[in-house]
Amino acid sequence: MTKVAQQEEPLVRLAALFRAFLIVSLCGFGGGIVWARRIAVERRRWISDEEFADIVSLCQFMPGPNIIGIAVCIGARMRGAIGTIAAISGFLVIPWAAGLSLGMVYLEYADLPVLRNILGGIAAAAAGLLIATGIRLLVPHRRRPAALLFAALAFGLITFAKLPLLAVLFSLVPLSIAVARIQSARAQ
Amino acid sequence: MSGATAPLALTAHLLLVSSISFGGFPTVLPDVRNFVVGTHGWMTDQEFANFFAIAQSLPGPNMILMMSLIGWKVWGFPGAVASAFATFAPPCTIYFASYRLWDRFRNVSWQQIVRLGLVPVVMGLVIASGTVMARAADTGWQSTLVTLAAAGLLLGTRLNPLWILLVGGALGGAGLL
Repeated sequence: MTKVAQQEEPLVRLAALFRAFLIVSLCGFGGGIVWARRIAVERRRWISDEEFADIVSLCQFMPGPNIIGIAVCIGARMRGAIGTIAAISGFLVIPWAAGLSLGMVYLEYADLPVLRNILGGIAAAAAGLLIATGIRLLVPHRRRPAALLFAALAFGLITFAKLPLLAVLFSLVPLSIAVARIQSARAQ
Repeated sequence: MSGATAPLALTAHLLLVSSISFGGFPTVLPDVRNFVVGTHGWMTDQEFANFFAIAQSLPGPNMILMMSLIGWKVWGFPGAVASAFATFAPPCTIYFASYRLWDRFRNVSWQQIVRLGLVPVVMGLVIASGTVMARAADTGWQSTLVTLAAAGLLLGTRLNPLWILLVGGALGGAGLL
């Protein structure tokens, strides 16, 4: 990608991108963003805090795991398409292979009552972490009744009405954006 | 497991849902569960919950791993690889293209408005996913308590989530859930 060459800073090595996101992947237990910022902003000084915040916000409204989006964007920012591939490979290849092998071993013994109970306990706790993460990311919107209403609607339509995701997404998101637009027009 | 149609159907479905998995893959988990457990009966609710627990208890790309385990169950190793690709390739392509666009349209006001509208809906979906998973793992009031405690601890403390998962596993292993 020739566009990147116009920047004056020296090129980041692809191996460094690979290693950085391998670490993010292996350490980023539910908090991958923490590690991505620590490495890319604080330790390597590849990008500024502002730029990192930019990338995180962008990833927030794109599909897919946000942390992979951060890998894609930082890789693209540093080295273009090839940088993206290096960052994603670092994030995925080794942890995936290791995780799959471990998962196979787990499944081999999944019928043991003890293991089943352990997995049940982990699943219950993991469900709680998921709920908490959703709540935490809603906190910045807590003063906007419309935001809370749309969050509650999305929650209810999936949990209680059991509507398919696509139906919920494509009915609520345009409405919610329209309301946000009207409100911000009034505020000005 | 009906010949080649099962892995194809699974891969196609994962390609679709990963393209619309706003807010991360957990938002589409209820949909994947309906597809693989409900519609096709490739696995039981118990197995689905096991895959979730395994993926969440390992570091790395949890949801890609979970989909790989589902792919493995349906079609062995090729299924695992196909599911992994179907889960990460569409979002990666979209991320890359949108980063390029984003760079071009920095600081435009519609970006802020779209975020204000999109984020709350997405977070409602994330919380719903947690509830659906809690139901799949539900064995009584004790496991509900673990779910609530885990949520409370993550919100109220700076505890590493790994410890929360470990304690959940230990309580389960001790036969308390």
